[in-house]
Amino acid sequence: MIGSRRQIRLRKALIWLALILGACFAGLPVLWMVSSSFKSNLEIFAYPPALIDSSFSFKAYQEVLGNPESLRFFFNSYLVAILVTICTVLTSILAGYSFSRYNFRFKKALNLIIIGVQSVPPITLMIPYFGLIVWLGIYNSYLALVLTYMVFTLSYAIIMMTGYFNTLPRDLDEAVMIDGGGSFVTLWRILVPISLPGIVAVGVYTFMLAWNEFLFALTLTRTNDMRTVPIGIHLLMGQHSFEWNQMMALSVLGSLPVLILFLLFQRYFIAGMSAGSIKG
Amino acid sequence: MPYAYLSPTLLLLAALTVLPIATVFLYSLVDNVIVNPNPPNFVGLDNYEEVLTNRKFRGALGNTLYFALVSVVAHFIIGLSFALLLNSRLLSANVKALFRVIYILPWVFTASIIAILWRLLMNPHGVINFLLLEFGLIPELMEWLSDRDLALNAVTFINIWSGYPFYLVSFLAGLQGIPDDLYEAGRVDGGNGWQLFRHITLPQLKPIIISLALLDFIWTVHQFTLIWMTTGGGPMRSTEVLSTYTYKAAFSSHEYSIASTIAMVILAICTFVAIFYVRSQRMADE
Amino acid sequence: MKKLALALMIALLLVAGGVMAQDDVVLEFQQWWEPELPEGSFRAILDDFEAQNPGIRVETISGPYLTTKDQIIASAATGTMADVVGLDGAWVNVLWKQGALASLTQAMMDAEYDDSELAAQIRLAGETYMIPIANFIYPVFVNLDMLEAAGIDPPTTRAEFAAAAMALTDPDNNVYGWAQPLSLEQPNGIQNDTMSWLWASGGSMLDDMGMPHLAGNEALAGTLEYLKSLHDAGVVAPGSFAMKENEKVEEFVNGRVAMIVNTLAHFTLIRERNPDLNFDITALPAAEGYDGPRGLPYASWGIGISANTEHKAEAWKLIDYLTSVEGNTKLTSIANAFPGNVNATPDFIQTDPLFETAFAIFQEGYLANEFTGLPAAEELMRQMAEPFQYYLEGDIDLDELLEIAQEEWEAIFE
Repeated sequence: MIGSRRQIRLRKALIWLALILGACFAGLPVLWMVSSSFKSNLEIFAYPPALIDSSFSFKAYQEVLGNPESLRFFFNSYLVAILVTICTVLTSILAGYSFSRYNFRFKKALNLIIIGVQSVPPITLMIPYFGLIVWLGIYNSYLALVLTYMVFTLSYAIIMMTGYFNTLPRDLDEAVMIDGGGSFVTLWRILVPISLPGIVAVGVYTFMLAWNEFLFALTLTRTNDMRTVPIGIHLLMGQHSFEWNQMMALSVLGSLPVLILFLLFQRYFIAGMSAGSIKG
Repeated sequence: MPYAYLSPTLLLLAALTVLPIATVFLYSLVDNVIVNPNPPNFVGLDNYEEVLTNRKFRGALGNTLYFALVSVVAHFIIGLSFALLLNSRLLSANVKALFRVIYILPWVFTASIIAILWRLLMNPHGVINFLLLEFGLIPELMEWLSDRDLALNAVTFINIWSGYPFYLVSFLAGLQGIPDDLYEAGRVDGGNGWQLFRHITLPQLKPIIISLALLDFIWTVHQFTLIWMTTGGGPMRSTEVLSTYTYKAAFSSHEYSIASTIAMVILAICTFVAIFYVRSQRMADE
Repeated sequence: MKKLALALMIALLLVAGGVMAQDDVVLEFQQWWEPELPEGSFRAILDDFEAQNPGIRVETISGPYLTTKDQIIASAATGTMADVVGLDGAWVNVLWKQGALASLTQAMMDAEYDDSELAAQIRLAGETYMIPIANFIYPVFVNLDMLEAAGIDPPTTRAEFAAAAMALTDPDNNVYGWAQPLSLEQPNGIQNDTMSWLWASGGSMLDDMGMPHLAGNEALAGTLEYLKSLHDAGVVAPGSFAMKENEKVEEFVNGRVAMIVNTLAHFTLIRERNPDLNFDITALPAAEGYDGPRGLPYASWGIGISANTEHKAEAWKLIDYLTSVEGNTKLTSIANAFPGNVNATPDFIQTDPLFETAFAIFQEGYLANEFTGLPAAEELMRQMAEPFQYYLEGDIDLDELLEIAQEEWEAIFE
């Protein structure tokens, strides 16, 4: 199977080719977003288009960053997204463990219900849900947003966590049980460390959803000091015209910290790999 | 014991979703609510009959299924290919780290900005037409989003672009969980790359694949912002999907009962798909 | 730790809520105008109001225009609607039907208000529910450089317009005579860029009873047929079926479209985007032989009061101020809009020659936007846009188009 040196070199070249084609597919549209954020609103619509043109400036960034409101939007987005991520990940680990390792009477039904609550279109749910939040007295608060996004992300998170736990062999936990450890110990000492890559994936997903959600963020908040980045972007969409370059600048700025966070968390993918090899 | 682990989830869902969903269900059984000054009258299943026999609804259903199935399959193929690429032993750790970040780029933007970005790119005088024209791949400027023969594929493409990183990240995580000795054993048995993929990688990833496909299906059926802000369901209903149809019923025609009825139909479709998931779960247990 | 943080946050929120205003009446004012106007300028007007009305404070709740209607409906349904709301003529009907709006006729009577200065009031079932306080008319914007290069004068009739559009179109250089946005997401292209042609020739889409009159409406048939002839001649910019108002103006600013029907709200924008663009405005062309006054499509910033407000008198005071000569002049001056008070004169009318022209067009014609106050107005536009697209593609003929639209509209009016 291990080919000659030439074969390896050829395979490496093919992999690089695929890697770069893939990067073009994923990255070029984003590159255009970055390029637009440096253009004037006139040049964004110019034809023939250019990646960088004479209108290049940091003006859009200055206007976005010079506005204290958008800084507040960033703060809110981070706070909400981080809280949601922590709460959802913890809750879904427990629930996923339960679904993956136990057989119980209402398992199928509960599984269906958890998927079911996710299956009603949010648009139709909006008004009754809004009413409930007002009735609970948490309208226009971080708590409302955190709980709402937990509801949105939990189904996904639980299903994914169940999926990850299902890929892990059962003799693992049984070994611990025989040694006298309870199920809770098994979960935290054995399953959680091994599943770190899956947990990080669920966390990333949760963070992204909470970070990017617009409709409920708008409906459940009232004052600008509670609002998040997606609303800030929408506020640049005027009745008659858009501030194209500022919208792009705001999205680019919003994405940078997320990307850095992802870059930092990446090592857990590799950490998982070594943990995974122990178990065999 | 299992119930104790589930209790936080069940408490939250019971507190925040039971009432709203029950309300939507009740709305679907009455003649009109919210913007109607008259008290609602119980009409049984009349709304369901009206919705299910409506030609526009069936058109939207067909478009939704096309949109969702093509998206799910493409997401799976692209997500898995990229994950395998990024898992290659022939690349250094730093290269992988860099490309991982590039590959998840479409995921970090809010849906409305993705819609606006792609409207710019796909504008008749946008950069996509410019490049294709320069390379001689198209004879004239194409109207990607306003030509009824192109629009549905164009929005599906945008959705594919914006959604595959979810698979990528999940598969990357899943691949780390496959023990190396499985592959080593496979190689000792003389398996080549494709055989290892078919007999080790795919079966090992199966629980994740099934979960992902189910979630993504539900997710795509609910995809609203991307379609609404790029084509608004047009031109001529060619991109009308259930989510845009529901929105229009609720916030444009102000027929909340009809919108709620469609919501219940969508719920039924998703639950039907979810039953397959639950059955596959049971098989995984055995 | 997490719980503590949450508890702390809740406590903070409660404190913040409790500290607010012990004695002052706080009016919440939900609108989309604040983000549209130069930063701080709207607040300054409200500060003036507060200075003149001690004991009332106005708190703005600002959101993006596109979602304002949905948000007001949702807040009315959940009892959280603001005291005073910004309204668009296309939504006032549904909010009224929902019972969300208070009768302004009643409020005016309570305050013994003289309404003779108001340019318009939107009435439903005989009572006023919305007062337009700033109006943006839609004349035709023409690119003068392109017209001069072709040796053409700004067109005044449909035939002249078609000839001009033909002469100015040059697909090889991506230049077109006209643009017609027909996006189904924001179908207001039916109001501003389609029905406006009908109104400019004195036509109507409603009968004497205010009911839909589409099928068998000769003036309308003639208008739509004319617009199709422009599409068929290839003088309309590509992408029409997905184009929105905000993209139409970018095409014009970039010199790819020579003439557009467009809102005066775009004046500053066009000048900022492209200071070199040499443009003028002219009234919307009328059908040959029509010499009556021309209906001018317009969009309004309207204002109304929540039915459930506890501060109706104070809310009316705010409306009174914004419709007064002083308040209305200030608002329309920063918004570049025509006033809702007949005696208010925004400063730009004297200082800007283009606005002077616009004002002349405004005075010679009459404000015509038949969609204002109609039930589900946006849906009406959409139900017109959809068959219109089929008609332009040649799938259905004119009679079928009008009959389909008539049927859909009647269903909505029921």
